[in-house]
Amino acid sequence: MAAVNLNTIRSTIEGRLATELALSPVIPVVFHNQPSTPTPNSSFVQCLVSFGNNNFLTMGGTTGSSNSVIGVIVMNVFTPKGVGPGANLTIGKRIRDLYNRQVVSGVHFDPPTGPEVVASPAPEGYFQTQVRLTFETFEDL
Amino acid sequence: MAFYRGQQGSVKFDDAGATGVTITSTRSWSLTVEKESLDTTALGATYRANVGGLISGSGTVEVLYTASSADETNVFIEHVNTATDEGLALFELFLDTTGTKKISFDGVITSAEYSATVGEIEVITLNFVTNGDITLGI
Repeated sequence: MAAVNLNTIRSTIEGRLATELALSPVIPVVFHNQPSTPTPNSSFVQCLVSFGNNNFLTMGGTTGSSNSVIGVIVMNVFTPKGVGPGANLTIGKRIRDLYNRQVVSGVHFDPPTGPEVVASPAPEGYFQTQVRLTFETFEDL
Repeated sequence: MAFYRGQQGSVKFDDAGATGVTITSTRSWSLTVEKESLDTTALGATYRANVGGLISGSGTVEVLYTASSADETNVFIEHVNTATDEGLALFELFLDTTGTKKISFDGVITSAEYSATVGEIEVITLNFVTNGDITLGI
């Protein structure tokens, strides 16, 4: 047992999305702290993984004990403006189905929220929705 | 002055009553030790008098379910289902991680509540009563 490796968790989350969106129809995806210049009139997804609360799960010291590690995934879905929400929701469904109630490599994904329409897209010039979900994993020391 | 937090505690148990083994994934424990009071007020007295009577204890241990099957934790969470229970199981409730501050006694697990709630970790709540001496090594 060991302290949780945050990059392993991030890799599990991001890898799952990258693999799915690499399938046809391919959708470009960009993650935290990556340079990206979107192509006008095309679709892309932005995936942001953040770690949040850590809580005691069990009694014990620095060995033989467990913690809960909770985080949130925010995925912004961008599709061309002025052509309706259909294409956007299709991508949103792919993302939603990818994580909904899944348990992957010890990471428990909760039911997603969204896709919710974002009133002021950033960057501008796109139709944007957002899919959010929390996840939990367990650290065994 | 030293203070302690709950995560420094732990629980050991042995159904054979010999050597306590740590119960993994314990979330909490509590023990209430009670002493009966016997009324010895003399007839005509103004103030009531009492002396101490029998001492007993009861409490609760909460364990997170981990599907462990081959250790004392599994014995612990299933011990309520023991057909013949002479109350010889050893309980040790620790207050610190060094393992020197503990309350120990023999006891009987009187009930177990197994529960699963959507979105939450599965918890087993075990209630017990003491059998005989209670040693407060705290």
